[in-house]
Amino acid sequence: MALSGMRGLSVFISDVRNCQNKEQERVRVDKELANIRTRFKNQRGLTPYEKKKYVWKMLYIYMLGYDVDFGHMETVALISAPKYAEKQVGYIVTSCLLNENHDFLRLVINTVRNDIIGRNETFQCLALTMVGNVGGREFSESLAPDVQKLLISNSCRPLVRKKAALCLLRLYRKNPDVVNVEGWSQQMVQLLDERDLGVLTAVMSLLVALVASNPDGYTNCLSKCVYILERLTKSQDILQEYTYYGIPSPWLQVKTMRVLQYFPVIEDSTIRKGLFDVLHRILVGTDVVKNVNKNNASHAVLFEAIALVMHLDADKDLMSQCVALLGKFVAVREPNIRYLGLENMTRMLLVADVNESIKKHQAHIITSLKDPDISIRRRSLDLLYGMCDISNAKDIVEELLQYLTTADFAIREELALKAAILAEKFAPNLAWYVEVILQLIEKAGDFVSDDIWYRVVQFVTNNDDLQAFAAAKAREYLDKPAVHETMVKVAGYLLGEYSHLLARRPGCSPKEVFHIVHDKFPTVTTPTKAILLSAYVKILMHTQPLDQELQVQVEEVFKRCDNVVDAEVQQRAVEYMTLSRKGSSMVDIMAEMPKFPERQSALIKKAEDTEGESTEMSATKLRQQQNSMALVVADPGPANGGLPPPSEQLALPEPPPPSAETAAIPKAYANGTSNPHPSASTNGDLLGDLLAPLAIEAPPVTTPPPPPSQVDDPGDPLALALYDQQVNQVKPIGSIEDWFRALSLKDSGVLYEDPYIQIGIKSDWREAQAKVVLFLGNKHTASLVNVRVLILPAPHLKMQFSQVPDTIPPRAQVQVPVEVVCLSASRETAVLDFSYTTSTLPVSVKLRLPTLMNKFLQPAPISASDFVAHWRALVGPPTKLQDVVRGVRPMPVSDMGDLFNSLHIGVAPGLDPNVNNIVAATTFYSQAGATLCLVRVETDPSDRTQMRLTVASQDPNATYELKEFIKEQVIDIPVAPVPAPAPSPAAWGLTGPAAALVGLI
Amino acid sequence: MILAALVMNTQGKPRITKFYVPLGVEKQQEAIRTIYSALSQRPEDSCSFVETENIFGPDTKLVYKHFATLYFIFVIDSSESELGMLDLIQVFVETLDRCFKNVCELDIVYNFNKVHTILDEIVMGGQVVETNSAEVLKAVQDIWKLERVGDLNVPSVRGIGSYRSKS
Repeated sequence: MALSGMRGLSVFISDVRNCQNKEQERVRVDKELANIRTRFKNQRGLTPYEKKKYVWKMLYIYMLGYDVDFGHMETVALISAPKYAEKQVGYIVTSCLLNENHDFLRLVINTVRNDIIGRNETFQCLALTMVGNVGGREFSESLAPDVQKLLISNSCRPLVRKKAALCLLRLYRKNPDVVNVEGWSQQMVQLLDERDLGVLTAVMSLLVALVASNPDGYTNCLSKCVYILERLTKSQDILQEYTYYGIPSPWLQVKTMRVLQYFPVIEDSTIRKGLFDVLHRILVGTDVVKNVNKNNASHAVLFEAIALVMHLDADKDLMSQCVALLGKFVAVREPNIRYLGLENMTRMLLVADVNESIKKHQAHIITSLKDPDISIRRRSLDLLYGMCDISNAKDIVEELLQYLTTADFAIREELALKAAILAEKFAPNLAWYVEVILQLIEKAGDFVSDDIWYRVVQFVTNNDDLQAFAAAKAREYLDKPAVHETMVKVAGYLLGEYSHLLARRPGCSPKEVFHIVHDKFPTVTTPTKAILLSAYVKILMHTQPLDQELQVQVEEVFKRCDNVVDAEVQQRAVEYMTLSRKGSSMVDIMAEMPKFPERQSALIKKAEDTEGESTEMSATKLRQQQNSMALVVADPGPANGGLPPPSEQLALPEPPPPSAETAAIPKAYANGTSNPHPSASTNGDLLGDLLAPLAIEAPPVTTPPPPPSQVDDPGDPLALALYDQQVNQVKPIGSIEDWFRALSLKDSGVLYEDPYIQIGIKSDWREAQAKVVLFLGNKHTASLVNVRVLILPAPHLKMQFSQVPDTIPPRAQVQVPVEVVCLSASRETAVLDFSYTTSTLPVSVKLRLPTLMNKFLQPAPISASDFVAHWRALVGPPTKLQDVVRGVRPMPVSDMGDLFNSLHIGVAPGLDPNVNNIVAATTFYSQAGATLCLVRVETDPSDRTQMRLTVASQDPNATYELKEFIKEQVIDIPVAPVPAPAPSPAAWGLTGPAAALVGLI
Repeated sequence: MILAALVMNTQGKPRITKFYVPLGVEKQQEAIRTIYSALSQRPEDSCSFVETENIFGPDTKLVYKHFATLYFIFVIDSSESELGMLDLIQVFVETLDRCFKNVCELDIVYNFNKVHTILDEIVMGGQVVETNSAEVLKAVQDIWKLERVGDLNVPSVRGIGSYRSKS
């Protein structure tokens, strides 16, 4: 066994290996780090050998997972060492420890360049490798021409040139400008003539990146690529070393076919024919062999060929050949081939009309759904989802349901959602749909969002012949030992509405139904309780004449609930109690729910919306999108199910007009407890629907306001949220509102961030002018394209900004400087309209820019006498305005003072002798000049939610805007209508030592 | 592209880690832990691919091979061929085997610096540099020869390595 050649290093590694536990290891590592640190600090007597040894140790420690936050300088310095061994360790460890933005890298750019342009090949290789691994933008700018020269040089060894090709690729990714398409595409054509396969493979990697971002610029490379493929597959005149288990460089074949997938179309018929010949040969000529490695390699080529065939939109023969092959693969035992077979079949569904032929393999695909390997199960699930249509929906969904019982947690959520969507999309009949959803709730209730059971209720309500069936099913499910709460909800609703249809069946008398439902009552959450109360009153109502015994029991429940904390439940209990005594008039009010208007399902609509974007993508793009696509596979045709076609499909009522809400239940508002919430209005609300008839004059579609329970229900948006994720909708990773709020007080920070991009702001405010720099940082490993930055200035601001490049390369940052000039006072802000496209989806966001009024304010130090003089000079509207502000966020006066100071409104402490008052002065800057603004706030210590605000300045507009701006800052959001009585003058502390200033007002 | 090349043992101890995308130490370790917990749960006859959206973002996969006490893992995005990566792992392992004569975990532990040199000859900046094991071996042996040469005499180094003209 060859040891590292450094005794100290080997000893250290042994020590670490001998540690019994993590704690001991940490102690040993810390000791070593301390040792290295001291040795580096006092470099006297430190030999180059020792330096080398320590730096290797640092790398070892780093790989063990310890942060090594020193010694970077020494590491980088080794790059400049004269000896090979030191230089090598310097380069290798630098590329592991430092990232492209590390400042120390700048120090060695010159050394690196000298190594690259020097005549020592081994140094060239080291330098190219390091730059290829970490090179950032600065390297890109200073080294790209030299690297290009190496790549096309005739005198360099292949060893150097292949590294140069990959180094150039890295530099190109950091800065696409380093390659000039016009000149370089010709160079690429020549490079493709390369005979050395190592160099050719590297060049092909470079070409993939170049073509991916500019397919039109490199069309002249197309024929060469096809020729290379021909050469590899046909004549096979390549060196023995480059055959891998008898196959001519599978990597080069794969890469070449990958490049070809980035070209949009191949028009030249000769090239096309040549290519199809090659592909045909690969498709028919690949056999399964014993040797695993050989099999792998040949199938790598084969799968790539299939992908290329899909991309080329080949003729039917070739396509069906591919499907046949894939069919063979999904049935084999070898897990890798099966996995890729499933994956590629899913991909194929998206580009070609092969549904029918794929269906033949359904049995095998279902077998894979039960494979012990989760990777395979996922692929199988995706494929089943994609290939599902009306003809096989029943089988597939039932398989999914069956699998759901045994599926592990990691996949259940996805499984449940997919089953729900398929059931809805392709249900052969509605009874089956209802049955499936109920099963789904039973097996995976946690993952069934409210939308899904609402939908069941809609279908049942709108289809008379379904009602008895659904009620009976619901009754059945409630009998089971452990019932999910969602099941209680849907069963409660259905039994309330339709259990009377079952009355003659055994075990379904109103009393029995009431008891079986009420059994669940103690264990369910408040929102469900509300549903159950409605169910009870309906069950009771259907016993005409009223069943006295039942009435007593039901009223007992209502009585117990009439003092429940939750307003919704309490209200229902009280109202139902009264209603239940109204006798026959109750029948009108509690009558069966009217039919729902017909609308499209929210779930399906979402799926269809995303579908449009998928139709025009190349195979390559589809590959990237595959996971998400599986959820939104194109509609296989108009004949898609027993469910009514989309236009006739039903959905939840849209949020009702507010007036109807208040008409329906004015009481909810009077209580002040039922606050309409914007997020709830997007989800339909069936609880409300149940209540609707309470408002006699309300139209049948009316939905009363969502009860608070719905608002807070975190489970409610679950399915949709999950769904969002899967269609790759990009969500900010944080609150835009919070970022904005922080930036309104700070000059720099994050404005927006999602998984792909971060937008930061740095700003410098100078009186009426400002320099704001937006930093657009691509966090992703792929380029963001179609980047568009538009700033919609507010009318009071003049804003100028320069053009933004269309593409942000991976991990790169673009700066957008914006010049801002304030023309006049306003509370408005400018808006940044920002959009980009990730590898999959377009993203567009509108963000308020923190160009708030306070940015143009500067605290004005002012003496008491000056203040009084100015204050007196401004006598009243419009230069002095006063408002009583209600709904103020309660805070101590000192906090409010701090808030003012942070808004650049300079509080002048002690100027007002009343401790409950604040006076402040600030200067507002606009292009017109500076305006001194005075502010006075009187708070009421007994009621911190209100205050009196007076603002005065020479400029009526500034006065008004500043007053409103301050109000915005102190008022609690949302503005709650506080029914406060008009404040009596006494409440304002005028009797206190309000002193001199009071008299002025 | 290849996002990371990792070698870890079946106890989850990292032996070689090389990330081709910038990632903090914390994140690296988290990734290694997640990868280990995913791999250690997989039955022996599973496929060699594990989808890793939760670690490396959408569209990423682990391609791994299990040899004796070691996992060899490449993390790739959708621009690489899965089976091609499997082949590349094979090339990597075959090269290690040639270098160390029946490579075992200890060889890799004690010679991690040499393994880095070998890896650098196979993968660079997340792209495949060389797929020919013999070629890799030759380059690596040249480097090791150089390491032993004391002072580097530039002219004498030129031409080391038996470069054959291939055209």
